[in-house]
Amino acid sequence: MKIWVHSDVSDGRITDVTFELLSKARDLADDLGGADMEATLIGSGVASEAGRLAEYGAGTVYLADAPSLALYSPLSHVPLLVGAVELWRPDIYLFAATSIGSALGPAVAARLRTGMAAHCVDLRINDRKGLSALVPSFGGRVIGEILCPNSTPQMASVKPGIFVKKPQASSEFRIVKLDIPEDASDERRLVPIGIERRHPKGRPLSEADVVICGGFGVGNKENWLLLEELAERLGGAAACTRPAVDEGWCEENRMVGTSGQSIRPKVYLGFGVSGATHHVCGMNEACVVISINRDEGAPIFEVSDFRVVADLNRILPLLMDAVRPSVRR
Amino acid sequence: MHFFEFSEEQKMLRKAIREFVESEVAPLASEWDEKDVCPGDVFKKLGELGVNGIFVPERYGGAGLGHVERAICLEEISRHSAGLGMTIMTHHLGIYPILQYGSDEQKDNYLPYLCSGAKICGLAVTEPGGGSDFSGQKTLAEKADTGWIVNGRKCFITNSHNADVTVFTAKTGEDEKGRNKLSAFIVERGAKGFEPGRKEHKLGLRASVTGDLVFADAKLSDAALLGKEGGGSRIGMEGISEIGRGGMSAIAVGILRGCLEEAIKFANERIVYGKPIAKLQAIQFEIAKIRTSYEAARLLTYYAASLKDAALPCANEVATAKLYSTEASVEAAKRTMDLMGGYGVINEYAVGRFLRDALTSIPSGGTSHIHQIVIAGGTLKDFQA
Amino acid sequence: MPYNVAVCIKPVPDPKYYDRITIDPQRKTIVRSGIPTMINPVDKNAVEAAMQLRERFGGYVAAISMAPPDAREILREVLAMGADAAYLLSDRAFGGADTLATSYTLYKGLKKIELERGLPFDFVFCGCESADGATAQVSSQLGEWLAFPHLWNVFSIESVSPDSSGGRESFKLRTKIENGFMEWVGRTPLVLGVSREMNKPRFTSVMGIMKAKNKPLTVWGLADFAEDDGHGMDSGLIGLSGSPTQPGEIFTPDLKRSGETLTGTPEEIVERIFAVMRSNGVSLVFEP
Repeated sequence: MKIWVHSDVSDGRITDVTFELLSKARDLADDLGGADMEATLIGSGVASEAGRLAEYGAGTVYLADAPSLALYSPLSHVPLLVGAVELWRPDIYLFAATSIGSALGPAVAARLRTGMAAHCVDLRINDRKGLSALVPSFGGRVIGEILCPNSTPQMASVKPGIFVKKPQASSEFRIVKLDIPEDASDERRLVPIGIERRHPKGRPLSEADVVICGGFGVGNKENWLLLEELAERLGGAAACTRPAVDEGWCEENRMVGTSGQSIRPKVYLGFGVSGATHHVCGMNEACVVISINRDEGAPIFEVSDFRVVADLNRILPLLMDAVRPSVRR
Repeated sequence: MHFFEFSEEQKMLRKAIREFVESEVAPLASEWDEKDVCPGDVFKKLGELGVNGIFVPERYGGAGLGHVERAICLEEISRHSAGLGMTIMTHHLGIYPILQYGSDEQKDNYLPYLCSGAKICGLAVTEPGGGSDFSGQKTLAEKADTGWIVNGRKCFITNSHNADVTVFTAKTGEDEKGRNKLSAFIVERGAKGFEPGRKEHKLGLRASVTGDLVFADAKLSDAALLGKEGGGSRIGMEGISEIGRGGMSAIAVGILRGCLEEAIKFANERIVYGKPIAKLQAIQFEIAKIRTSYEAARLLTYYAASLKDAALPCANEVATAKLYSTEASVEAAKRTMDLMGGYGVINEYAVGRFLRDALTSIPSGGTSHIHQIVIAGGTLKDFQA
Repeated sequence: MPYNVAVCIKPVPDPKYYDRITIDPQRKTIVRSGIPTMINPVDKNAVEAAMQLRERFGGYVAAISMAPPDAREILREVLAMGADAAYLLSDRAFGGADTLATSYTLYKGLKKIELERGLPFDFVFCGCESADGATAQVSSQLGEWLAFPHLWNVFSIESVSPDSSGGRESFKLRTKIENGFMEWVGRTPLVLGVSREMNKPRFTSVMGIMKAKNKPLTVWGLADFAEDDGHGMDSGLIGLSGSPTQPGEIFTPDLKRSGETLTGTPEEIVERIFAVMRSNGVSLVFEP
């Protein structure tokens, strides 16, 4: 049996979600009673990154490294991966549900006429040695099991932050170079030109021990800015819910939930978060959940370890006083 | 077939207006109320959607629909902002006489931009002497060598300060019995000698503007006369009794639905003794009463509107609907407030605004007492032995 | 030049009510009774993108959906928004389709429209994901079936001057990526999965509703895709049986935590919050 993971690459570096997937692949391999763990890697100048995949257990890396592959394009990437699958026939193939993986994975699946489970929250091996993917639907209200019993590879995508990365080096390591077609005239139909990053304010949500989350109940932009300051002073990160984005208080890249990020901080401190399922699905891996909401019936309280039924304006100023540097009189 | 059923297009219309209102009106309604401003930009967007000229034929830039569709729009708008509903309803009230009695030239001149959302219309009849004394109005339009000279003051006029075009009535003479002969005119904003006066600070319906209009030797051309000289009574009364009251009735239906939805939302969310208060019979009784009055008001309102669309006499049915709906909306807002306990009087909740809007809807288009006189008059005639 | 544009539409249960969805424990089915169906929200952005393209260049916009017969209502709404024609692919045989079978069926539908009109599609717009299933897979997979280049999470499209060769406009496109965007230049045909940042969908106008009454809404079942015209459907690729993925167990996740309510003065509560942070390994050295 062979389990493959496609490397998610951003600015020439393999991203953490790839290692999270490899770590999960390790568990799946164990449940299968042993399986080869292998990875695919496409990019320009990424050969030096291949070794990092070995640290998380990849024994073989199928590599396509060429200047023309610096940026993702379906016209170049899809045929490369389809060709590799047809040659080496993995049984399971995992993708990161990132902006690229979400576009690339399903296209590869379609060309291979195989099945792909999207945005999985867990992956298991069932008693028929098949991949059982748990997939949320209706904003996380329902979790459904998706099987792919009659075709291979069994494909799945997983968002960053769902699994935990656990380094475990592979005992052997080799790189297999994929053939890169020379005539790329067809690819001119759609050409990637470049990437522009907007450097996000504050610490990435995935790295923060404390996440301060603001919901619709935050009430206004001024309060949101206080939450951001609180997060910064605590050395944490500020997150938000969909309604807070819709109100224009914060950027969508701060949003937690099924359509945003999945987080697993040590402490989640929520202000005015109602607790809609699609949000809860992104934060329920937090070790401790503290919620402040003036509505005692708010669903967030059902998924909280500590409940504070109060107007946030009674609590937030005190928290701010505590974390702000004292002013000498 | 149901006795009362909306067509597929009418259902789509309701859904489309609801989507617009939930997105563009609901989030701002309380702010308009608090600041006492009429949102001109939303008025314009409603014009683009076809609401402002809903019953005006397409050749004049309207949507070519009728009064049932108008009521649907007003109900949906007033569900979240009865004040904005009031602005639109009065706009229709001004448009109607132009459409019904205007010359081809007047219709071509005014209707397209009144339908598109570019301009706001109004109707000015009431005077300081009281709106109920319709024929006793004192604003005087005297014939000059060319055109008319107008002097007088209109009061409690909706869209007074923001209408670009106002239809008004004025005395143009007396008949042989010495009774006032009224005529209707069209005046545009900025006409010499014509300007808005005092702006009222209202209890409710505050996303609409109400105030005085002052004519001080205002000079109007001959082309300003709307309909026949001496035809003003009919023009004014038809507009008020069918379009004005019909519109107020639909606005009240909107307030009623607002109350119903807010009451249900609160009753489901408010937990007392570990369960939502919606489980308590005392609360259920209140909800049942609000629902019943909403349904009754709705039937009366849309039935009256459908008579208007069928070109049947409907003044009495409209009056019945208006009387019932506006009174029921006050009662429903009060019930909703009671059901919410202390939260009912907190201004973050919409119900206080609903109550103020409902109370303000009662004198608009004629007080409840006037409506009862109208209804009684019609009833005594209809049921003569 | 005018463009022929298709927009894929999915009816979904109104996301406002997802917290009401339950599972029938006996029959293992999802219970969504009483929840109204609506057009998938981001599909409206796709419709808007198509409208703007038509307003700019002229052309034709067809809406297409694979859904049960009552999706007519949803398609009427798209016609009211301004689409020229609507096609509903509806057949029991299409039921239970996963994204691969769905994208195949849509592909066959698009090909049939092309055949009947004698004009190929230049653009296919999809919402980037559906509110209910949220797999976000259909646009890429439809692109593969059609053999059109495809992009996902597109939030901007503008034409750049026609290139010297064919006189066709090239388009500059932007897709959302993590903390930024990616820029592309592409030529038609293209399949684009549109994100909600792309535009603000127009509201349906009263005039649009009246016009929609007279616009064509065609319903095709499996029988309409006869093998002999070269556009038949392979029955092995549609519906549940044509889906490589199969559903297994379903359940509602239990995320409940047995919580403690913090009481006392606000000062005491704040002290408890800091205590909880400390005991969970958060170092409370406040950054200046």
